[in-house]
Amino acid sequence: MKTNNKNGILYITPAMIILFSFLIIPLIYTLYCSLFELDYLVKGDFIGLENYTKLITDGKILRSLINTIWISIVATIISMVLGLCLALWIDRKKGFISYFIQMIGLIPWLISMVVAGLLWRWLFDGDLGLFNYIINLLGFESIYVIQNKTSAIVALIFVMSWRTIGYAMIMILAGLKGIDESLIEASRVDGATAWQTLKNIKLPLIKTPLLLSTIVLTVSNFTNNTLPKVFTSGGPGSATTVITLEQYNMSFRYYKFGESSALSIIIMIITTIVIALYIKVAKYKI
Amino acid sequence: MKINNVKSRQPRVLSRAVSRKVVEILIAISFAVLNLLPIFWGVVTSLKEKSEIALYPPKIWGFNISFEHYITIFNSGYFRSILNSFLYSVCAIVLGVVFGYLAAYGFQRSNFKFKKLFFYIVVAGIPLSVGSSVLLVPNYLYMMNLGMTDKWYTLILLYAAYNLPMAIWLLIAGVKAVPIEIEEAATVDGCSRLYIITRIIPPLIRPSIGAASLFIFIGAWNEYITASVLINSSNLKTIQIAIYDFLGYFGQEWGPLTASTTIAIIPILLVFAFFGRMLVSGLTSGAVKG
Repeated sequence: MKTNNKNGILYITPAMIILFSFLIIPLIYTLYCSLFELDYLVKGDFIGLENYTKLITDGKILRSLINTIWISIVATIISMVLGLCLALWIDRKKGFISYFIQMIGLIPWLISMVVAGLLWRWLFDGDLGLFNYIINLLGFESIYVIQNKTSAIVALIFVMSWRTIGYAMIMILAGLKGIDESLIEASRVDGATAWQTLKNIKLPLIKTPLLLSTIVLTVSNFTNNTLPKVFTSGGPGSATTVITLEQYNMSFRYYKFGESSALSIIIMIITTIVIALYIKVAKYKI
Repeated sequence: MKINNVKSRQPRVLSRAVSRKVVEILIAISFAVLNLLPIFWGVVTSLKEKSEIALYPPKIWGFNISFEHYITIFNSGYFRSILNSFLYSVCAIVLGVVFGYLAAYGFQRSNFKFKKLFFYIVVAGIPLSVGSSVLLVPNYLYMMNLGMTDKWYTLILLYAAYNLPMAIWLLIAGVKAVPIEIEEAATVDGCSRLYIITRIIPPLIRPSIGAASLFIFIGAWNEYITASVLINSSNLKTIQIAIYDFLGYFGQEWGPLTASTTIAIIPILLVFAFFGRMLVSGLTSGAVKG
């Protein structure tokens, strides 16, 4: 299959120059920066791991990290479960409904998070929002969703999973379409119930797409700071200040770039672990 | 079910099928409402007069249609931002597709040292570029150090870099599907490798090129956080920065805000309407493998 062995590296060189210049070298440079005092971008003393120890002992950062982890996991689980249900449903359908659900489902994922965040913020507006209008029609009192700690977190999780249900559904659907029809047929002949077919045949066969989309969604939720920034501005207080928003504030509000570099590296390590898992699951071959 | 019961059960089976159909249609409708409600409500709000937006209960229909908010945003330099985003996207697409295609060809059709390592870098970049915020501080520090912030090419290079891994991945699948015999036959006919790479293969992998372009377009058009940090000049602003700036500029004035979001969605929906299938197949090409 392979031809022209000598020139291969030349073909990938332009792309690799871009990837190295803007993905890899910046990360190495940040690792270097994280060992210095770097307030207001003024390079101070070499302080070794002090930036890291500062972060690890900072209760606020730790709390935000833990919050972010569970928020992203819950949002991912909701997307995956609903995505799975929808995918199982439309997998058996042909024609318009299937196409319609797929196309509609991807729209939240396609529009930018700034747009999605703002539009939901407007819907959940305390005084004029459509959400409270509906709530009032149903006979309940208005809820100031974004001003209240618990409801702000619930709403953030809701919008996060709203964005990605369609994505999860499409990925799972692709897996389901890949299942050999005769296997399902055979199980039906053997008298398996729908639940048994799902549990013993379908789910094991779509394990890879399930795992892959779970990983992608977890990483993208975990590193998502645009949506919290636009939707809740991290508030009320710091209830929805996810770790990447904390990092954003640290850098661009307080200009503590040494510490924010260290935090970047920590976030990077966490995502790298997850990505390593992704590569292992995907078994990509070249 | 016993055979002799079939006749008496038929009406009930039929009504069950009907009610099942009704439930399915209801689910489809509520799913559509949930997905489209924010957009619908944004469009409705953007067309209301200022005084009617402030009304409670909100009017869902029967309001006076007015384009005042659209005029407001276009008088505040919104068009410039749209144009910028468009140019950034197009340049990032060109860069990403050309470099991505060359890399895909290299990965697929030749062997070289450290090929595996380079390939893993690309694969690791796929989920990494989903969350560009991981690279926010690194890119800021690095670009600051090189004096490359707030330039016309700043975001083009970054968006190309963020989206290259996915583009390479999609294009590898495309090149893989082209039989090597075509290249061999072309060589026998006296075509140079340059001719093969520039003239023979690209028309054969048009769907992959399309999918890669789509992903780069959506990524570049929708990106906000990196742009907000790296761009200061108002004449280099992207559309997403402009929308977010309206939030501060007009306070909580939802008229101009929803007008700007409505306009930002239109190109995405248009592209999706025409190339939706391509996008779906591109999206799933990574998941079904392996």
